[in-house]
Amino acid sequence: MKKYKFFINFDKEEKWLNDMARQGYLFTKKTLFGYVFEPHKPENAIIKLDYRIFKRRGDFEDYCALFEDSGWEHIAGTKSSGYQYFKKANNQGSEDIFSDVDSKAGRYKRLSDMWAVLVCCFTPVMSAIISSDVMDLGVLRDPKTLYQTPGLWELNGGAFWSAFLFETPFALFRGLLWAFIPAIILIYLYFLYCANKQYKKTQEDRISRK
Amino acid sequence: MERDKHLPLTETVYYILLALVEPAHGYLIMQKVEELSGGQVRMAAGTLYGAIENLVKLKFIQPAASEDSRRKVYAITNKGLDMLRLDLERMKHMIDVTTDRLK
Repeated sequence: MKKYKFFINFDKEEKWLNDMARQGYLFTKKTLFGYVFEPHKPENAIIKLDYRIFKRRGDFEDYCALFEDSGWEHIAGTKSSGYQYFKKANNQGSEDIFSDVDSKAGRYKRLSDMWAVLVCCFTPVMSAIISSDVMDLGVLRDPKTLYQTPGLWELNGGAFWSAFLFETPFALFRGLLWAFIPAIILIYLYFLYCANKQYKKTQEDRISRK
Repeated sequence: MERDKHLPLTETVYYILLALVEPAHGYLIMQKVEELSGGQVRMAAGTLYGAIENLVKLKFIQPAASEDSRRKVYAITNKGLDMLRLDLERMKHMIDVTTDRLK
């Protein structure tokens, strides 16, 4: 079974995966936007999430080995996927993959750093768009110029509508392709903001707990 | 003399450095820290991994030769040993001064 979902909060994602396990669906694989589940006997699984990208294969192996040795099965994630999923394998060992607040908050820091890098990568593309004439704000004032069918605006009734509707997707694509990049930057900035907020919130837990 | 900015060491860092006086891989460090601290300090895998990474960055520990292809072995460096000794001196002083005043 496959489910499409997107989380920006590790704690909520963990809770959802544990709920699915309780209903008899064991999380086995992560794709770009989806989660793959396999039918399994319902269990009170403890699935935990870390966020780490590895430069070297050996570092990733060492990391997985440490978790396995201490009772956590690595169920999903690759060297460069960032998201690393672990399931508690037995009754021994710790209840969490983090034993202090700083390291628990640290995964949000690494996530927010990653979004910051992505924003930085897209910023030159954005400035290239602004300095070139691809971004034509004039079309927003006169959208008719986006349509290139000869004599389209002189047509009437059904002929007009079928030609108009046919060309609309192409017109939007032509006119608004540039808008895709700022949209992506805005989305990444939002994720960056959320990850940072979660980072601070997790760190504050320490103060309130004391 | 001005105190090194990394002092005082946290309890976990102190025990990790102490454990690595003999080279060890990740899980062995975890077990040794628990043993050396008399069961008081129990580190989870994610926390320990981050701590090791940080200590390697600070050059307090470094990777050593490993016979296991998957598990990296770490050992304390001279800089790490210096830190451990400085922190020991700091704590010795605290113990001495406290014992005197509480007599």
